[in-house]
Amino acid sequence: MTVSAHTRRRLTSLVPLLPGGLFLLGLFIVPLISTFVLSLRPTDPFYDPLPGFSTQQYVTVFTSNYYLQALIYTARMALIVTAICAVLAFPVAWLLIHARSRAVRTLIMLIVVSPLLTSVVVRSFGWRILLSAEGPINSILQTIGLTGAPLNLLSGKLTVIVVVTHVLLPFAVVTLSTSLSKIDPALLRASSSLGASPARTFATVVLPLAIPGLISGAVLVFSLSMGIYVTPLLVGGANQPLAGLRVYDQALRVFNKPGAAALSFTLFAISLTAIALLNAISRRWERRIHGQG
Amino acid sequence: MSAGHVSVRGLLAGYGEQTILDLDELDVHPGEFLSVLGPSGCGKTTLLNVIAGFVQPSAGQVVVDGRDVTDTPPYRRNLGLVFQNYALFPHLTVAQNVAYGLKTRKVPKAEQTPRIDEVLNLVGLADYAGRRPGQLSGGQQQRVALARALAYEPSVLLLDEPLSNLDAKLRHQMQTELRQLQRRVGTTMIFVTHDQSEALTMSDRVALLNGGHIEQLGTPQEIYRAPRTTFVADFLGAGNLLPVTIIDAATVRLGDVDLPIATGRPAGSQATVVLRREHLRPLTSPGSPAAPRAVVIFRAFSGSSWQLQVQLLTPDDQPTGPIISIELPDAGATQTPPAEGTQVWLAWDPQAAVVIDA
Repeated sequence: MTVSAHTRRRLTSLVPLLPGGLFLLGLFIVPLISTFVLSLRPTDPFYDPLPGFSTQQYVTVFTSNYYLQALIYTARMALIVTAICAVLAFPVAWLLIHARSRAVRTLIMLIVVSPLLTSVVVRSFGWRILLSAEGPINSILQTIGLTGAPLNLLSGKLTVIVVVTHVLLPFAVVTLSTSLSKIDPALLRASSSLGASPARTFATVVLPLAIPGLISGAVLVFSLSMGIYVTPLLVGGANQPLAGLRVYDQALRVFNKPGAAALSFTLFAISLTAIALLNAISRRWERRIHGQG
Repeated sequence: MSAGHVSVRGLLAGYGEQTILDLDELDVHPGEFLSVLGPSGCGKTTLLNVIAGFVQPSAGQVVVDGRDVTDTPPYRRNLGLVFQNYALFPHLTVAQNVAYGLKTRKVPKAEQTPRIDEVLNLVGLADYAGRRPGQLSGGQQQRVALARALAYEPSVLLLDEPLSNLDAKLRHQMQTELRQLQRRVGTTMIFVTHDQSEALTMSDRVALLNGGHIEQLGTPQEIYRAPRTTFVADFLGAGNLLPVTIIDAATVRLGDVDLPIATGRPAGSQATVVLRREHLRPLTSPGSPAAPRAVVIFRAFSGSSWQLQVQLLTPDDQPTGPIISIELPDAGATQTPPAEGTQVWLAWDPQAAVVIDA
């Protein structure tokens, strides 16, 4: 009696999870599984899936230059973007927490999240205008005599890195500022009273205590930039060796759906591995801080 | 023993338009334990932060051991600081926390280890060197904070309500420990607190702050027994602050009741008489002919003492006069104080009544 009542109560407490759970199941888990199954199908020469299972698609992903180059390029870009975001986000997050005036904090917050509040089309066209041959950057470069002819700024690694950093920086700032806001200001004063200069306090107190926030920000930025493709597509065109763009190409232009699925899953696996690795580091660090280690 | 002298002159500090601290002068002697006592908002924490260097005064000077440090950043002032919430570095072990101030001073590693052992022994935590702050109790954490601040032997230690997060029993124990420790190491300590009994128990001298200035500075006995203002008397829990008119050399009038108190002030002038609760005795028979009469209107037992309220009888014997509080030590079950409704005669030691100009 009591057991069943207890069980019923526990089940009832799960009811609020139902709508969200069904949504997730129907629109995320099920497609994910069917994509995975698709990635295991062999294909005929016209990329039509055949019955049966094979690792053919994954072998192609890891042996063909077309895929492998895209994966390496994308992972490198994601790492660089993550590193830049971490460095740029730190001072901004710090100001966001420690600015005296409320108005200043609101203003910073607004500037930080502005890329997320702008439509991807508008934002990308802004970049196109800024970076075009007749755009302000090229005219400045020419006016001060750094270059003779306009540079092609629109395609290329640097552009992708800049525009992706622009849109992902808010995620890094917000996660990091949450972490920084948990650092007791008394610790900073304690460090100072013990004779540590501001730089030393940053290195020995702020940075170690911000590591969990840095890591969760890095996880977010890294996984988002591994899969990003609309922004680079709109700014730099379809011919960049980005994995996201290649998935799009394979699925919707070449109609090689199993190949696209395999590349997607490889990307997914790389992100998951990175997340697991960083989370493990973060967990270890948190344990150390909270004194169970 | 000349190090550890702190001198503050003409200090003005505040946030924005508001002045929080307006201090003419304050000298803390080498090796002294000085409490800065006051209600919240009196400027005591601001004073500590100005001395520590975290708040820049808009005027005035802070001089430590002859060196004007007013414009010196906190990390070059070479003071020790102990915080209310301990402020231990959570990612460092106890030993690493204690070593922090030695490392910033580039003390050689070989000298660090014995020094760390020494201060951890001093606070009785030698066995906890490898633990992290999260694994320690509040009292232990506060001892680590103390050890950390003492490790590099600053001549002055500033303590910002360091015991107020501890429970009552531990707080009393730590008060004694801290005072004994201070006598042993001889460091000047400036101790901020809002707890008057803590300030009285621990200090060589107490500076009572009110509204940003020093209301009274003196030994615990001085400020307790001879409060110079009604604020001091009230803050130190005197209980009875009686606004009186002087009648003659030996009598004052409270409301329409005459009390036999010698004031040495001209007849007709106004004054406040401070009668401490514990100096009053309710007698069941007239002790002297002038003893004022009263009726007990409230009696409560609070463990080690009894709290009583009595209402003075007016000249026409009506129990409508001013109310006076009395505290009596508990003397056992056979000697309970007079019950509510009993008529009593009030008596006190003539020296116990302090007269303050109105």
